[in-house]
Amino acid sequence: MVAIEDIRTRARELLEGGKVRAVLGFRRSSAGLLAEPTFVTELNDVASLVWDATCVHNLALYLVNEKKRQKAERNPDTRPLAVIAKGCDSRAINVLLQENHIARDEVVVLGVSCEGGGVIDVRKLADVLRGKEATAAAYEGLGSVKVTTASGEATLAASDVLADRCLECATAYPSVSDVLFGEKVDERGFSSRFAATKAVAAMTEEERSAFWDGHFERCIRCYACRAVCPMCYCDECVVDSTSFIVGPTTTAEEKANRIRWIQRSTTPADNAMYHMVRAMHLAGRCVDCAECERVCPVNIPLRLLNTSLESEALEMFEYTPGTDPAQPSLISSFRDGDPNDFVR
Amino acid sequence: MNANVYLPALARIAGIEEETRGARAIKTFRVEFPEGGNFDHACGQCAMLSLFGKGEVMISIASAPAVKDYKQFSIMKSGRVTTALHDLKVGDIIGIRGPYGNQFPLEQWKGRDLIFVGGGVGLAPIWPVIQTAVANAEDYGKITVFYGARSSRDIMYKADFEDLARKAIVQLSVDAAEDGWQGYTGFVPANLMDKAPSPNNAIAITCGPPIMIKFVIQNLQKLGFTDEQIYTTIENKMKCGVGKCGRCNVGKDYVCVKGPVYSWAELKTLPQEY
Amino acid sequence: MDTILKKERLGEWVAQIGSRARVFAPAYADGIWNFSPVAAGVSIELDHGNTVRPAKGFVFPQREVLYRFRQESGKAPELTETLPDTTPTVVFGVRPCDGRAMVRNDKVFTCGFKDPYYSARRDQVVFVGLACNMPPSQNCFCLSMGGSPHSEDGLDVLMTELDGRYHVKAITPKGKAIVESGAALFDKMQVPDGNAVAKVHADADKCPQRSLAAMEKIAAGLKEHFESPKWDELARACIGCGACTYLCPSCHCFDINDEITGNTPLTGERVRTWDNCQFPDFTMHSSGHNPRHDTGARLRQRVSHKLLYFVENHNMQQCTGCGRCISHCPVGIDIVRVATEVTGQ
Repeated sequence: MVAIEDIRTRARELLEGGKVRAVLGFRRSSAGLLAEPTFVTELNDVASLVWDATCVHNLALYLVNEKKRQKAERNPDTRPLAVIAKGCDSRAINVLLQENHIARDEVVVLGVSCEGGGVIDVRKLADVLRGKEATAAAYEGLGSVKVTTASGEATLAASDVLADRCLECATAYPSVSDVLFGEKVDERGFSSRFAATKAVAAMTEEERSAFWDGHFERCIRCYACRAVCPMCYCDECVVDSTSFIVGPTTTAEEKANRIRWIQRSTTPADNAMYHMVRAMHLAGRCVDCAECERVCPVNIPLRLLNTSLESEALEMFEYTPGTDPAQPSLISSFRDGDPNDFVR
Repeated sequence: MNANVYLPALARIAGIEEETRGARAIKTFRVEFPEGGNFDHACGQCAMLSLFGKGEVMISIASAPAVKDYKQFSIMKSGRVTTALHDLKVGDIIGIRGPYGNQFPLEQWKGRDLIFVGGGVGLAPIWPVIQTAVANAEDYGKITVFYGARSSRDIMYKADFEDLARKAIVQLSVDAAEDGWQGYTGFVPANLMDKAPSPNNAIAITCGPPIMIKFVIQNLQKLGFTDEQIYTTIENKMKCGVGKCGRCNVGKDYVCVKGPVYSWAELKTLPQEY
Repeated sequence: MDTILKKERLGEWVAQIGSRARVFAPAYADGIWNFSPVAAGVSIELDHGNTVRPAKGFVFPQREVLYRFRQESGKAPELTETLPDTTPTVVFGVRPCDGRAMVRNDKVFTCGFKDPYYSARRDQVVFVGLACNMPPSQNCFCLSMGGSPHSEDGLDVLMTELDGRYHVKAITPKGKAIVESGAALFDKMQVPDGNAVAKVHADADKCPQRSLAAMEKIAAGLKEHFESPKWDELARACIGCGACTYLCPSCHCFDINDEITGNTPLTGERVRTWDNCQFPDFTMHSSGHNPRHDTGARLRQRVSHKLLYFVENHNMQQCTGCGRCISHCPVGIDIVRVATEVTGQ
């Protein structure tokens, strides 16, 4: 059982010892059921840290964002960031380490096991509650989730309300951490890896094409999917720039010659191109935290794209991103035994 | 102006002058309206220049309102549209819509001494005011023009300055020492302090790089100019030019509508973003 | 003009309107509520909370072609204006917060220079509102924004759900026209109906909502605390996406870009698309200077635009309290909490 007091105690120790510049965890949110990310720097605020099935965010994202922020600071605080990380989050941290985007001593991983459970999918919960809003949710073990609404408490089947990625997850605890809270539980028995994406792969080409056309049509290009992904850390995104890096030394020619690969317009073609190029750039790197899908305001089932590529990575190269930071990254390495029947 | 505010009129490039060369080259364009579509403008106002397939940029109209045959724009090569503008030849057609923005309150300045302080391409937005003032010299007091550039090669409107020197007090400067340079050597704000114009019944109008404007205003205040006596122009990234796309605001003001002209008294009430 | 429409007749009224106009209504598809086209003969059910996407898309679509251009090398370009087609459009199920936002959008697009694209659409879209008998979301705060669950501002018709029937109130001439066109379907409003409406509205006003201090206090507070370090704190988790602005019924920032479709001759379109002050390069100058270079400055811009600058310019808040930005922010950034904390209320 993960005891929140244990996490708070460790957080207090780290802050008191001046070892970290902040403890990044979760606290209750005024915005709704889900917890929200919080940077705790004061001892007084440690008590706000919470841990339950509403702690959905992949806080590895902020290792990337804080690094960007610090670039603009004159005297950045270079102490490490302590980050509360679930299994999926720690896989993201591992990919960042593997790709040398961060160094191991820049992060203190406060690992938390999901202990056979997972996190809530707010939309699945809304479907089950038929419009009633929940104010609290907790994984009770043995496949049950206790949910509190205005009319009282309800116990729901985990498979009905936990996120799909949790149901498919093979390792719901961090493989790399500085400390681990909770027991490692391997057997979860909900679903199997890639179940959802395999169902889409089983469609005919026409069905699949119509499936994705319908979804991409809805895209409003808010870029929440890209913004929330820890792996999308490029200062300048090749597909569309909302963060074109211009400095005092950028020449007029560089600005003039910059290619617009796709338009800002939300045409089905531009939308599809954006999503597919982004998915390709994540191949071999996506850890299925499924934050992209959660944050999409119009509910595009994005993880189906990424997990489809990861199932190929597993099949072709026996590779799962984020399991081992020392492992060479898939796309930037090769082994003699790699399949090469496409080489003619 | 077109009934559709976004639809430009077409105009012909009638003349191109190379003012400066190098990485941040400046060219002056004279634009005529053989098919009609010309519009009157007031000092300080700007227009959106269009290159189809590239985009639009908001540029100050550098010719005086009294000049009816053409409109003048001095443009520094900076990005996609301005690079394409620099590649144009005489006879090419561009789109143009305007005039946008507010104006320098010349009426209020009648009878007063006018002190212009410009740097680099920032001379262009205040050039129409200078031209109008010297053309109506009897309406104004003493006219002084401070202007500086990195080097003598980078001075804009060289030919016009020779003529201007006969009608106004011209104080030119270059940033770095140069053989044969007769004028002041040093930054524009320093030249201003060196000559120390009197604030008595005077208005100071300044435009140039943000850092220059900052120090010019400081120095004007040191010389005793009040906030109401100091005028400048501000700019921001713009797309629509008509106060709707929401991009160019400084505080509550859309610069494309409420600006670019501001007295320091007004400007200091807006959020400071330099 | 007040009338009563029995619930079982709603389908007929919609069908009648549908014979002369495109009809949209909230529908649940792919896990979200959104305005969807209503096919001929299909009835509508007004039992949604609020749509994810706001009604502003009907007058300010995400993509609008301003004009087309064609230019042969060395010759003058030809421009073809592309004003929107003005097929009559009727939208059902618009919540009062979206209606009040329309009043704000009118200020932006029709005051000063008149935007012909917005006006062409606004002049012929009919917004049929639906009063909120209960707050559609736990993040509603329309009352704090000077609105109400039954406000008529910006709407052409306001419907209120009663027992087995709707109160239908025509507000504008456009609204009257679509009600009168279905005259036979409606019943006269009787005194008990009027009492029922008044009670439903009064009860709705009493439902608890999120609460924000008064307009003048918030505006003054935001002005005073412009340099507050709280902005950076509150924006630290912001990921810089466009969820808040694109879902906001009164956000109107846009970009203009040329989209080339051919090179010899040069052909293309000058297109307006939604843009977002939360994107990092929204205010990036060509010189590399960015006046709003961090999330704190950008959050401050959005909140101040909604609750201070719009007040200074138009004497009304631009935010109408729909709560979408709060509900959909990936990291829980909450405008009510932000405005309250920064101003020290």
